[in-house]
Amino acid sequence: MSGSDAERFTVDLRWRSGREERIAVDADETVLDAADAADVALPFGCRTGACGTCTGQVVAGELAHRRPPRALKGRHLDAGYALLCIAEPRADSEVEVGTDVAADLVSNPWK
Amino acid sequence: MSDADTPHDDASHDHADHEHHGHEGPGYSTPQAAIEESEPETVAYVMGLYTGTDVDAPDFVAVVDVDPASDTYCEIIDRVEMPNRGDELHHFGWNACSSSCHVEGLERRHLVVPGVRSSRLHVVDTKNRRNPEIVKVIEPEEVFEHDLSTPHTVHCIPDGEILISMLGDADGDLPGGFLLLNDDFEVTGRWDPPGEIGMNYDYWYQPRHDVMISSEWAAPKTFLPGFDLEDVEAGKYGRKLNVWNWSEREVVQTLDLGEEGHIPLEVRFLHSPESTHAYVGAALSSNVFHVYERDGEWRADKAIDVESREHEDWEMPVPGLVTDLLVSMDDRYLFFSNWLHGDVRMYDVSDPANPRLADQLWAGGHFGPRHPIDGERAVVGGPQMLQLSLDGTRLYWTTSLFSSWDAQFYPEEGELGSVMLKADVDPRKGTMSLDPDFLVDFGDLPDGPARAHEIRWPDGDCTSDVWL
Repeated sequence: MSGSDAERFTVDLRWRSGREERIAVDADETVLDAADAADVALPFGCRTGACGTCTGQVVAGELAHRRPPRALKGRHLDAGYALLCIAEPRADSEVEVGTDVAADLVSNPWK
Repeated sequence: MSDADTPHDDASHDHADHEHHGHEGPGYSTPQAAIEESEPETVAYVMGLYTGTDVDAPDFVAVVDVDPASDTYCEIIDRVEMPNRGDELHHFGWNACSSSCHVEGLERRHLVVPGVRSSRLHVVDTKNRRNPEIVKVIEPEEVFEHDLSTPHTVHCIPDGEILISMLGDADGDLPGGFLLLNDDFEVTGRWDPPGEIGMNYDYWYQPRHDVMISSEWAAPKTFLPGFDLEDVEAGKYGRKLNVWNWSEREVVQTLDLGEEGHIPLEVRFLHSPESTHAYVGAALSSNVFHVYERDGEWRADKAIDVESREHEDWEMPVPGLVTDLLVSMDDRYLFFSNWLHGDVRMYDVSDPANPRLADQLWAGGHFGPRHPIDGERAVVGGPQMLQLSLDGTRLYWTTSLFSSWDAQFYPEEGELGSVMLKADVDPRKGTMSLDPDFLVDFGDLPDGPARAHEIRWPDGDCTSDVWL
């Protein structure tokens, strides 16, 4: 999948619908790019870390952002949310994915 | 590729010719000519999108059959699929409108279709109106080179150039600005000197008065993930209008709309090129501002106040959320949508400073009927993007605002898909009535339910045409 010598990790993607996919992601590759290459469709938008469409939640393991995750606030980062368009693995990881996850970031403030 | 290169027999630009082949030129000589010379719309172009859902398909330009005499009336007869997923198609615009009426050979033929999330720009050729095709794609990297992102409003400007409001810098932060394309749809650079504005959203220009007015949403990183009330409290959402000297490309006045003017979105000047009146909808505050010039100064006064309403399922009163508005081509009526309430309103603006409620119609939303048409599918979101026929007798709308905001306020909109509805308007009596025979279902598509946003007509419309 990648010609680099970077360390490679296993990332398990879990949808709330119950679907699961396992992909291999190099340490210098984003989870979104690796999913793309494996023909696993994840939601995305800006691909620069500004829009939050690709938000996942790290359940186990570790992801690191390669540029500032501007779409996420401190409370989101504290809760383990990550932007998969700019997130690279630092360990074998398990990540909750799908558009439901991005919808967690904000709620109806008046309801 | 340039429309200006297309052979055209109207080289002398004789305005009288429009009477005979009005749909071959780039517009109409006056707003009244648009009313008189236009034929009823037969197709609509509507932004359709899957961004923000788990449907594994790209967004598309829907071609909707709006010809009552057609066998496929109310159907989506074609979908121009984008080459990538994740664009979030939102607003779009023509390569030419009535402001280029003087440019020989120019045609209103190409749609510039931005992805507001991806920052990718697509050019769609509508030579075949029922089967348009993508002829050019400008990749995000080329946009980011100018330290701009998040394209929103597309207007053609005189002489065939295209100006696009950009809501942020390459990182999705502030400031925004404006990107300029030439008549071959090549990015030629930034229109404005960096630093003139911070936030950006919609804009309208009125060349006879050498003025442009732009509005403010927020930094892309703020509004793209969804609406967070904390961001309003922290001053991260806009409440100002920037008044530009159009020819000098500089901000000459900034109008702070204050506590009652949070999130000013759509800007609509009256169509008469002589007019110095415009309306702006402050979406969050749910007020409509009348913007006008007096003694060389531009001013903005609150002209319509939509009161929040108690709802049994909500802890706080529900704001109307004035998300779109438009002025009829004859400048007599202002229409706007209250997306959260679920109504569309029609105001008499024959006295521009004192709009008079003429009629109001309910469909979907948190207070309107879930089944506005008996026997038809449920309508979730309230009226949102509006479009009016040039003759002012048919008002259409769609129901999606923005994928991430839909998810907060109408979670079902993504699951069921949007609808496009229509009201018949009587501009003599000042009335509207929902057309029970018109519903376009974006929920019933091969790839899955889609959202629907802005609407445009092939021959120009009330939200794009500008006169010199």
